[in-house]
Order: sequence, then structure tokens, then C-alpha cells
Amino acid sequence: MSSAHESTVAAHGAGHRTGGDAPASRGKAPASAGTVHAGGARRQLPEILVGLCLIAAPFVLPYVGMSPDLLTRILIWGLFGLGFDLLFGYTGLLSFGQAAFYGTGGFVTAYLLTADLVPNMLVALLIGTVLASIAGLVIGYLTLRRTGIYFAMSTLAFGEMFYFLENSSFKEYTGGENGIAGVPPPHLSLGFVDFNISSGWPMYWFVAVFFFVGFLIARRIVRSPFGAVLKAIRGNPKRAMALGHSIQSYKLTVFVVAAAYGGLAGGLLGLFQSYMPPDAFALDTSAQLVIQTVMGGAGTLLGPLLGATIWLYLYEGLQQVGSLGPYWKLILGIVFVVLVTSFRHGVAGAILDFVRTRRGRLPADIDAGASAKVSSELAIVPPLESSRPGAPVLEARGISKQYGGLKAVSDVDFSLREGELHGVIGPNGAGKSTFFAMLAGELPTTAGKVYFRGQEITGIGVTAVCQLGMSKSYQINQLFEHLTVRQNVMIPVLARSRGRFRSDMLKGLHSDALDEQVNAAIALVGLSHHADTLVSEMSYGEKRRLEIGLALATGANVLLFDEPLAGLGPEERVLVVSLLKSIRKGRSMVIVEHDMDAMFELAERITVLYEGCKLAEGTPDEIRQDPSVQAAYLGGMDDHEFA
Amino acid sequence: MPSMSLFLSQLFNGLATGLLLALISTGLTIIYGTLGVINFAHGALFVVGGYAGYTVYSLTDSFVLAVAGGAAVALAAGLVMERGLMRKYYSRPPEDQILVTFGISIILVEIVRGIYGGVSLSVAPPGWGQGVAHIGSLIYPLYRLETLGIAAATLLLLYFVLYRTSLGLIVRAGIEDAQMVNALGVNIKRTFLLVFGLGAMAAGFAGVINSPIVALTPDMGFRYLVESFVVVVIGGVGSFPGAIIGGIIAGEILSLTAMVNPQYSDVMLFVAMALVLIFRPQGLMGQEGRE
Amino acid sequence: MSLLEVEKINSYYGDSHILFDVSMRVEEHEVVALLGRNGAGKSTTLKSLMGMATVKSGVIRHNGVEIQHLPPYQRAGLGIQLVPEERRVFGSISVQENLQLAAMTAENPRSLDEIYESFPRLAERKRNRGKQLSGGEQQMLAIARAMIRNAGIIFLDEPFEGLAPLIVRDLMGVCRKLADAGNTIVIVEQNVRAALSLADRCYIINNGHMVYEGTPNDLHGNGEIIERYLGVKA
Repeated sequence: MSSAHESTVAAHGAGHRTGGDAPASRGKAPASAGTVHAGGARRQLPEILVGLCLIAAPFVLPYVGMSPDLLTRILIWGLFGLGFDLLFGYTGLLSFGQAAFYGTGGFVTAYLLTADLVPNMLVALLIGTVLASIAGLVIGYLTLRRTGIYFAMSTLAFGEMFYFLENSSFKEYTGGENGIAGVPPPHLSLGFVDFNISSGWPMYWFVAVFFFVGFLIARRIVRSPFGAVLKAIRGNPKRAMALGHSIQSYKLTVFVVAAAYGGLAGGLLGLFQSYMPPDAFALDTSAQLVIQTVMGGAGTLLGPLLGATIWLYLYEGLQQVGSLGPYWKLILGIVFVVLVTSFRHGVAGAILDFVRTRRGRLPADIDAGASAKVSSELAIVPPLESSRPGAPVLEARGISKQYGGLKAVSDVDFSLREGELHGVIGPNGAGKSTFFAMLAGELPTTAGKVYFRGQEITGIGVTAVCQLGMSKSYQINQLFEHLTVRQNVMIPVLARSRGRFRSDMLKGLHSDALDEQVNAAIALVGLSHHADTLVSEMSYGEKRRLEIGLALATGANVLLFDEPLAGLGPEERVLVVSLLKSIRKGRSMVIVEHDMDAMFELAERITVLYEGCKLAEGTPDEIRQDPSVQAAYLGGMDDHEFA
Repeated sequence: MPSMSLFLSQLFNGLATGLLLALISTGLTIIYGTLGVINFAHGALFVVGGYAGYTVYSLTDSFVLAVAGGAAVALAAGLVMERGLMRKYYSRPPEDQILVTFGISIILVEIVRGIYGGVSLSVAPPGWGQGVAHIGSLIYPLYRLETLGIAAATLLLLYFVLYRTSLGLIVRAGIEDAQMVNALGVNIKRTFLLVFGLGAMAAGFAGVINSPIVALTPDMGFRYLVESFVVVVIGGVGSFPGAIIGGIIAGEILSLTAMVNPQYSDVMLFVAMALVLIFRPQGLMGQEGRE
Repeated sequence: MSLLEVEKINSYYGDSHILFDVSMRVEEHEVVALLGRNGAGKSTTLKSLMGMATVKSGVIRHNGVEIQHLPPYQRAGLGIQLVPEERRVFGSISVQENLQLAAMTAENPRSLDEIYESFPRLAERKRNRGKQLSGGEQQMLAIARAMIRNAGIIFLDEPFEGLAPLIVRDLMGVCRKLADAGNTIVIVEQNVRAALSLADRCYIINNGHMVYEGTPNDLHGNGEIIERYLGVKA
């Protein structure tokens, strides 16, 4: 995918040196799946605005003291930040080592051009970007094995490693402390005419083109199915995995994309300055990128650009105020801390929040076309051909789980028939959660195997299990709180239609098929009137229904429910019980619950677990009358051992 | 083939560097283990301590007072940080904690730069630290040998505090289960404040001790932050013995690699970290599954 | 005035509503059993009393003083002590250190010797780390921590869960001694038989609502209530 990105950039770069073309003719999204949405122009609003601003800038900004050099520098940082924002703002991966890619792209490009190895500047940029992407692949693979703080620090450490390597092993190529000087100015031959891009405004237009194309591509990525999964990963990575997505592949891909953007920006830096500085690799560079993105607003794509403007303007501006000059970074640090503490979404985010509260939801957030789609039946994954009719749909044979000396589950057999609603109960410490996790393929067994329609699924993991057609709804809501109901439900539907991973970064998100399925799932749990509400704004009962809705939307034909009634009031319990009854058609279900009334109303068969073993199994009536079950629950009330 | 005396010399260097790193890392790992916060400003506190010590040294000509002064200033900075800002961040996601401590590190470093300027300041070793020591056939700078001793003694003191005092008991239990410590009647907020302060003080102390060996520059802190994080990764989060072992390993890697090829010493350290991350993510002494 | 008065508390786990207008009282020197199936809200009730669960409305009074806004360590300071469900013994420090930590902030702690007398098993293992103890020994240590603080009111959350019958019998002996000594205890247990043999009064919680209050004798005679809320419905 990075080569696709590059060829587009190269093609556009070659064709649009002066940047004077109307933006609307460039990079418009091809209609997806035959549908053009009403309000299509509105949805391109940011692209149009940015294009206009880029064109207007040279005529307006000099009046506020911004030189072409300053603007070009801001654009390079903005381009660097587009990739980083995809990584951090959208996927939630805070990397402190992006300088590694900036430097790699920059030095490769500069070296190729100064050593005259490549005649064409664009080819040099391409190679630099590709090599930066490869570096991204390697570093991403190593660092993405951990998350959170460990990820951040590993990226920092690897970034530093590149800095040290630049000054040691690769010194003859990079010039060590001196960097690479004498990078020839960009030069374009189109056969009949030669363009020399000199410094000043021509350089601005040159870089602006790259930025604009980079922005268009980033916008496409953000609004593609791939982008939707990225947002899910940021919100709740475990649930994204459980809904069928191979999140490691997504993370690695976006890491490489960010590296590519960094490499391109680095290459442009060398051309802009006619000099490639060694501090492109420095921690300072990675740090500056992070600060600018956070100040400007992560998750907005234009945040880094805005942040760069603030940073560079502040730097140059404060130099004019004699006494404050040397303290510009201190002031920046204070501004940064204030922003992180109070305006968590940065300047751009604060603006967007303000607009949202004033005008309700932004038009771009709501897909007007989507809710109008006629909702069909929610598709259910058809059973695999290999399953024998009458065979149990889900089966556990003698499963046990041992933790050191503690045996949580001992030798339990379990089978779920096609179309059955099977309950599992047991007093505390019975091992229900462990049992359930093994049944769901989440937890490997110490002994025994679990089969889903004849195929062994013992411990294969939630993603694989979901793709096979089984899904779990959680005791504690595992939702994507910062997304709307519709955006939440899209995640499992995307996994159903696209599999574990697809790098469809440039494709449009919405299609009739997708929207219909999403609407069907939302309708099934009675949340249609809340389809465009943010999850964080819903009541607990509504969230609980969405929790069930997510599991349904995977298209699973076998569903596991972990205490679906947890935390619900009496009226809401009634609603959820009838919801569970209404979704039975075409599905087989296992429910763990403590609410006995509900359990006896719903279940056809009940399994009782006690101290890790199966104590009894049968119809609700049989269980009610079973004296051993009573004894287990009541601690043998009729015994007089303790009288 | 490097000579035996070079080898021994580097071995000592590694030990000295390693114990100093262990000192810095102990603060970092205990803060992280107890409070769950990774303090990106840890390197800046090292710098603040070093510069404060420099000032006290120039005023009093007493290295001992300098050390006390540097440590005290770093302690104060740590306490203010925790009380003023960090407290708000305990329930926020780790990325936010990283960002705010990072921001604070910029502020601290720029304040130092504002006061002292950006040129490096060299600090003369104390009177009792000047000259060389003779260890068998090896000639070794006396002060470096002394830092080894000072670092070892301080670590021993820290060990004593952690394992033989009530505060230490609270900290060790708090690393495991802070909420339960709270339920047993201990004002955990005050403990967090103290832990943060102690960690900061350890960093500042190390900053002063280190200043005769490596000249002071405002930006030197990040290097030590990164290195101490590598130590924490290798040793295991929240483990005091892990910080010591990790520190020694890191110090020796840096030192012995420098003997072969100085340009690669830092790279080798990162390679070691990468290996630990791949094969034993919880570190040598860390608890499995702790992140 | 009761030692502990709970008036219509509503407790949450996140935004999940667990307890609905739950009220109860505990008199001094009483043993009160809190019964119900798991998931009913028994543990959440104890945690709410200790300040370790979110209580959004309602009042908790200790000796007439409202305490629902106090953090756990201040409630511990008043003599309220929770022995939690998972025991939460500190695995990395020794038995002795666990006890020392518990005694640290107590106003009038018992001595280590007293505790070791009541728990000879713990005396044998005093140098062992928490994680080296068996389940039963950990439970003993957890109870001993409350005892060394000389707590005015002890909450026992499922003390017998997951333990072999012989150990349960031993622990029952400990609890009975505690009760006989006049300690105020609230015990949450699924082992109905064990809980009722200790209790002076009992409450039953079902689906987050308080549904019954009475004495063990009253309960023994009420088979319908037992089956409906504690057993498996007939």
C-alpha cells in the first residue's frame, strides 16, 4: 500500500508544480459501490477549505509577518504530522521515535541526489520514502509487541538508536555531525520544458502540492473502512479484536504509513534547505512533532499543521520581543502543559468541540444517507458445510483449567444444540468465568478440547473464533465510547465483510450493503432512534443493549452472553429478557446469569457448575427439583453439622 | 586485543556507571510501580539537581553541601510536581501522563537554561576526590572510584529504607496493591507524594554526584531518562533488585562495548532492550503480566 | 442509635447500577449475615460501606456520624475494617510484615503475640511471603489483619469461598471466637448454613434490592424465601 501512495504522490507531484489547479478536480473520491451520497460536496469541505487556504496563503499571510520560508517549513511539519496523527490521533499509538523515519527519508534522498545516483529528484524522494517505510516496518514490528508506556519508550529508544547510527556506522553516507550539504534544488524536466524550483514562493508551491496530496490521502484513509478500524483500536483494542479484527496488522500498517509520511517530509526538508541536518534524527525532532500535534489537536489531521504554526510563529514572534526571546521554549512548555491538562483535544479540537456544542453535531459526523437505507434482515454467518446435522454446535469435552495448585475447572463436558438457549449457573467460585472463557476460545485449556461445529477452537483466540461465527457479549460493557452507535456497530459488520484484515485505505466507508446490515443490527436491539448518538451520552440500559448488538452484528450464529442483565434495574431486565428471546431465530445461545427468574424463563436447558465441576444438567424443572443443586446453593441447609 | 588493565578499567567504569544508573532507575521504577506513572521528567530532575548542586558548590566550596542542596532542590521540585499536577493524572490514560511529564521536563530544562545558559559547566571533583587510585597495576581516577562507593552506599541506604522502615513497607505493599493499603488505614495520597519526592530526590542526588564526571548541560537529562528506562525494562518494573541488576548490566554493556567501539555502546544498550522486550517482556525480576 | 446505619444507598460499578436503595443496620456486638446469590450485590454492599465502591446517593452513618464521603483509610481509622473477597494479602511481603502494616495506623492495636496465639498456623509461617501461603492461611492472615487493628466492626466478604471443608471448620472456629468475644461482624457468605450458624440477624439481597430481614430462626422456618432468593427457584 505504501507504493500505491507513492506513485500517486509522484504522479501528482509531476503534474502539478505550480499548484494553481482548482482543487476540486484533483483527488475526488471515486463513487463507491455505485452510490453517490447527497452532501458529497459538503463532505469534501475540509479538502476544499485546505486547498483554498493553501492557495490564498501567499497572498494573505505575508501581512502578518510570515515569510515563504516559514510557511514551507510549517507545511513540511504538517506533512510529517499527517502520518503521525494517523498513528497517534486516530489509532492511539504514541510514538516518540518518528524522527528515525524523517531522518532516513531525508538522508537517503539527499545522499542519492548529492552522489548523483539518481537523476530525477522525484525518484530520489520515492526511494527515500520507501526506505523510511521499510524502517517503519522493522521498528513497528519490534515495538508494537507492547502497548502504552512500553511502546512509547521503545519507539523513543529506537529513534535514539537511529540517531547514534547516523553518527557512527553510517557516517560516510550521512556526513556524521555535518549532515549532507549541497542538495541540489528541485528540478523537473517534462521533456519540452524544464522547471527549476528556486527558494522562496516556488518552493512553497512545490511543498504545498505534496502537503495537499498527502492531506487528501490521509482524509481518504480516515474515512475508509481501514480508518474506522483504527478508531476502534484507539477506543477499545480488546473489543476490536474480539469483534474479528486482527489489530496487530492494522497497527503495523498505520505505523508504516506514518513512517512513509515522515520519510517524504524528511526528503522535502533536504530539498528545501539544500542541506540535510543530522538533528533530523534527534529526539528533539520526534518531541517537536508530538508537542505540535498535541497542541494543535490530535485526531484532526490538521492539528500538526496548526501546532507547527503555533510553534514556529511563537519562536519567531518571541524573538522580536527582545527580553522574552530566549524563553520561548519555556513559554511553549507551559502552554503545552496547560493544553494537555485542560484542553485535551488541542486548539483544533477545542474549536471543533465549540462548533459541535453550538450547532449540534457537525454534518460530517452524521451520514444522512445511511439511516435512510431500508434495513434488511441482519445476515447470519451460514454454518460451515462440514458440520454434521444433529451434531452439537458448540462442544467442550472434558475441559479443565489449572492455575498452579488451584484447579478452577475440572473435567467439564458441555454441548450446545442447534437453536438451543442453554443456561449456565452456579454459586460463587464455581469456575463459571473460567469455563466461559475456555468455551469462547479465549483461554487455552489445561486439558480437554473445545469444538465449534466440529472444528477445534481450543484457545485459538477471540479474533479467529469471531471470524468462524461465534461471538461473546461481555459482563462489563466493552464499547467504543467515543463513537456513535452506528460507528460502533459498523466495526463488527466490517470484520464480517472484510475478514480479519484488509488494507482498504483508499476505499469509501459506506456502501448499501454495509449500511443496511448496520441498520438491521441497530434495529434488532431497538436503538434506531439513537443511531447517531455518542455512546458516552447513552444510559446504562441502552449501552447494555448496544453491547448485545455488537455481538449480534458480527453475524455470529452462536452467541455467548456473560451476565447480560448485570447492573440493570427491574424494568430494564424485562426488556433485555424479551430482547434475548426475540433474537433466537437462526442462532444458538449460551447464557451465564445470576438472575434466576430470568434464567428459568429463558433457558431450555441449564448446566450447573459447582466448585469447578459439572454438578447437574437438565431442563429448568429438573434443576429446580435436584436436591444436590439446592444443597450446593444453600450450603446444605438441612445438614446439622454446624448446629 | 584490549589489555587487561584497560579491561579492568572499563569493568570498573561499567560498575560505577551502572550503580549510578541503578540509583536513577530505582526512583523511576518505584514511582512507576507504586503510582503507575512513568515520569518523563525524571531526567530533568537529574539535571535540576546537578545544577542546584553546582550553585551550592560555588557558594560554599563544600561538595557535601552541594550534594545535599541538589538533592533538596530536586526533592522540592518533585513534591511540587506531584501535589500540583500529577495528582490529577492518576486516573488518566498513560499517554496523557507521558505527555504532561514530558511537558514538565521541558519547563524544568528551560528554567535551568534560562538561569545558567546553554554552555556546558564543568564541576571540579571535591578535594578528597582528586587524583588517581592505584589498584594493583591499574591506575584509576579516584573520584570515579568514590562515586562507585557513594552510589553503592546510597543504594544500601535505599535498601534499608525500603526493607526496614515503615515507609518502605508501605511502598512495597503499595506497589502491589495500593487500594488495599488504603483500606488498612494508610493515607495513600500522602504516600504517593513521598514516593514521588523520594524518586525525584534520588535523581537529583545522582545528578550532583555525576557532575564532576560529565559536564553539566541543560539537555543531558534525556539521555539518562532513556538509559534508566532501558534499565527498568531489563530489570523489571517495580523491582528494586531489578533496578540494581539492570543498572549494572546496562553500565557494563555501555562500558565494555565502548572498549571495542565507542560509537556502538549506546546502540548495544538498545539492542539489549529490544531483546528483553522480545523474549522476556516483564524483565528479569518483574512480575509476569505487569505492564 | 445503631453502630452502623445504612439508608437507601445506590451503588454503581462505572455506570452500572448495582444496589438500589439498600438499607440496613448493624448493632454493636451483633453478628449480621448478608445473604444472597452471587451477583446479587452482597460484596458491593460491603465495599460501599468501606468506601471502595461508588455510592451515588444515600447515607451511611457510623455512631450517628455520616461517613459516606470519607475515603477508605479514614473509615479504617474509625475502626471499620473490610476483609475482602479476594483476601488481597500482600504476596511480596511476609506474614509478619502484613500484620505490621495493618497495625501501623491502628489507634489501639493488639500485639503480634496475641495474634500469633490465636493463629498458631500464622506464627509458624511468619517469615513466609504472602504468596507462599495456602488459601486457608491467606484467609486467616486477612482476618488477622483486621483483628490486629482491633477493629470496631469487621466486614467478612465470603471468608469461606474456595476452601476445603476442614479449613472452613477451622475458620468457623476463629469466627465464632471473634463473635463470642463481642466483636461486631457483618458476614457475607454464599454458604448459607455457615453464615446462619454464626449470625444473630440476617438480610437477603436479590438483584441489588434488599428483600428480607430477620433472624436465622425466622429464616429457617420460611422455606419459600430460602428457595426464592437463595436457592434455585421452585
